[in-house]
Amino acid sequence: MSAMLLNKDQWSAFVGKLAGEKKVWAPVKRGDIMRFEPLEEGAVPSLDFANTTVPPKTVVFPQTETLYRYRIGQAELAVPVLEGEAVLLGVRPCDARAMSIVQKLFRWDVDDPYYLKRREAATLVGLACSAPGTNCFCTSVGGGPASTEGLDLLMTDLGESYLLEALTDKGKALLEAAQDLLQEAPAGAVQEKEKVVGAAEKAIARSVDTTGIPQGLPGLWEHPLWQRTAAGCLGCGTCTFLCPTCHCFDIQDEVEGFEGRRCRMWDSCMFAEYTLHASGHNPRPTRRERTRNRINHKYNYFVQKFDVIACVGCGRCVNLCPVNIDLVEILRQVKEAL
Amino acid sequence: MSESFEPNIVAFLCNWCSYAGADLAGTSRVQYPANINVIRVMCSGRVNPLFVMNALQQGADGVLVSGCHPGDCHYMEGNFYARRRLGMLKDLMEFVGIDPRRFHMSWVSASEGHKWKEVVQKTVDDAREAGPFQGFRRRQIDW
Amino acid sequence: MDLEKLRKTAAEIVSRDDVKYLIGWRPGSFGYRVSPCFVQDAAGAEELIFSPLCASNLATYLTLVEKLPVPRGEEPDRRKVALLVKGCDSRAVVQLLVEKGIEREQVILVGLPCRGVVDLNLLQQKYPEGLEKGELSWQEGGFQLIRNGETATIPREEILAEKCRLCRYPNPVLSDVTIGDPVEPWETEADRGVEELEQKSVEERWDYWEEQFSKCIRCYSCRNACPLCYCDDCILDRLNPIWINRAVNFSENTAFHLARAFHLGGRCAECGECERACPMNIPLGKLNRKLAKEVREKYGYEAGVDPEAKPFLASYNPNDPEEFIL
Repeated sequence: MSAMLLNKDQWSAFVGKLAGEKKVWAPVKRGDIMRFEPLEEGAVPSLDFANTTVPPKTVVFPQTETLYRYRIGQAELAVPVLEGEAVLLGVRPCDARAMSIVQKLFRWDVDDPYYLKRREAATLVGLACSAPGTNCFCTSVGGGPASTEGLDLLMTDLGESYLLEALTDKGKALLEAAQDLLQEAPAGAVQEKEKVVGAAEKAIARSVDTTGIPQGLPGLWEHPLWQRTAAGCLGCGTCTFLCPTCHCFDIQDEVEGFEGRRCRMWDSCMFAEYTLHASGHNPRPTRRERTRNRINHKYNYFVQKFDVIACVGCGRCVNLCPVNIDLVEILRQVKEAL
Repeated sequence: MSESFEPNIVAFLCNWCSYAGADLAGTSRVQYPANINVIRVMCSGRVNPLFVMNALQQGADGVLVSGCHPGDCHYMEGNFYARRRLGMLKDLMEFVGIDPRRFHMSWVSASEGHKWKEVVQKTVDDAREAGPFQGFRRRQIDW
Repeated sequence: MDLEKLRKTAAEIVSRDDVKYLIGWRPGSFGYRVSPCFVQDAAGAEELIFSPLCASNLATYLTLVEKLPVPRGEEPDRRKVALLVKGCDSRAVVQLLVEKGIEREQVILVGLPCRGVVDLNLLQQKYPEGLEKGELSWQEGGFQLIRNGETATIPREEILAEKCRLCRYPNPVLSDVTIGDPVEPWETEADRGVEELEQKSVEERWDYWEEQFSKCIRCYSCRNACPLCYCDDCILDRLNPIWINRAVNFSENTAFHLARAFHLGGRCAECGECERACPMNIPLGKLNRKLAKEVREKYGYEAGVDPEAKPFLASYNPNDPEEFIL
């Protein structure tokens, strides 16, 4: 029951089966962007993409979420009911890995109930990469086109059919639920998968040698490379908002009359007011400090604290930066400066 | 549209002309619809387009901005600036699909109590025709 | 394009004592990308390029620099900044001068007559971007793409950026040095994007923008990429009062986009940076162009053409149209 084969003409029936029981989130194309959205009834998601524009972190960590609502003069708070179980279909291994990395933070000193509840209620159905994108470099930061970290079930496209491998109990339960659509995978299927994955791994063109970077970054605090990199930076939040491992948030109150809600929303360390103190002092006054912080957070602070690089090499920040600030290029410069 | 729908109108009136005009309408016992929520500002030039936007976001079905006639501004030229600014706002709102009947601007002087009545009547009628403005409301969404 | 001359002029400019740096374009790290570069010395000028890929508007960097307090006893750096400008970029600079956002003495403009830049998305659709760098240049009737040693000719209208189809100022309207011969302005097409929307009903327009604005993730790259969005205290960063909530939903997104477009009313230089920078491909240019069109047609004003002009919203004409007033 761990490795099964799903014929591609059974794909829509398989999706229908999942959708019948749980809320299914899948990549949906809106114009030329792609993001995870709840699947409409009868819709069949296409799995023909390299990487979604917006990472699936939005499902477990929505850009804006209400923490509670209140009414002035009333002692009780209304806490939202977190949605029930969800299945995420077609999650790339890098994005799933990102979720397991971010989870470490949300479990750290205090357990974050909102994130963890959503995360626990989600079953991640991964889709192994067969054709990596231009700027993918997952193999350099500990991932791979078929990395299973964080996933419950891994799908691999074998041409005619998908190979489904259950990795956790949740994944097994999914397979059991859809049993009548699946066949036992023949012995050769796993070898075939290895071939697909091996080819994908070879197709990853970008790489960066991260050894020594976490240890070396503190020594480069005042290095001119930060000024050089930040000079062209616009200071927008594209790289951080679309990063699967970026997890910073801000909490704000929205009040209208006597009612209000406290909500949290993504924040970006590339914004000036991210570190702005009430006094007016800003410890990261320019884009130089902010850029330095972004790299340090991913490749230094997070490593010190959780022993893993908070970057999964999905390449989104490289692809989408309007002024071509290239993370791989920055890391190469860091490496050179060490 | 149901018969009972009563639109919620936010009106920004300049202190020197329109507010006094509305006051005159009141003291002269001119009857006009009570759907208007008046906010007094010192000059129509003080009306920030974001006021209009915020009013719509917070539940207004229509917005009215009223000031002195051109040339009569207490501050000489405030209403000329307002005219340019809000004329452009009206074009923009129409372009994104906000019904043009939801936003009006008028010149009402301190002596025009009867004109004030007509302006309010027109604003309220237009907003009533346009119906409740749900789309833009802040609280509609995951509140 | 005479790159030799460009590099030589740039090198001369940055060698002057009163010049801090020159902002230009250099080849990016992969594919068709071009990144801004800050040339400090004559050697640095050797990387400069100017090609149809140089879409970004460098005027943004004039006002993007954070103004930190100057330590006691030190003089602020008053050296000039040199800048490469295309036609649309120069309009942004002119508008900055009109608003007194910069001083004329602070900048040296190196004008580059431009035959139109490409839309990266269109180019990628036709010739998918790989890691290997591609070089694009103008040629008669189109563009020439060189990559992997292969040469391809692409017809002009296939990949030309939308803003360039509508461009009426291919030559810099203001410059200190001009490199290359002036370009003959081309026949502009009607602004189909805006006109199509104008013909729709109010409800259809609302539906259209609802779909577009719902995509927004509020990364503010449109604001930051815009050379004319440079307020020290932006309403979006303000915490008291909060004009537009940080929450990302359709209502706040619409308020944000209306406010952004409105703030550029009568100011937009139509350089298309907002649209280009948007990771969600929201057609922000349509909003800006619609307002620019209204301002042009109704008030006879055009932003960023005359450095002596008064800002549109800080001036008035007693005879401004008022047919919308009750």
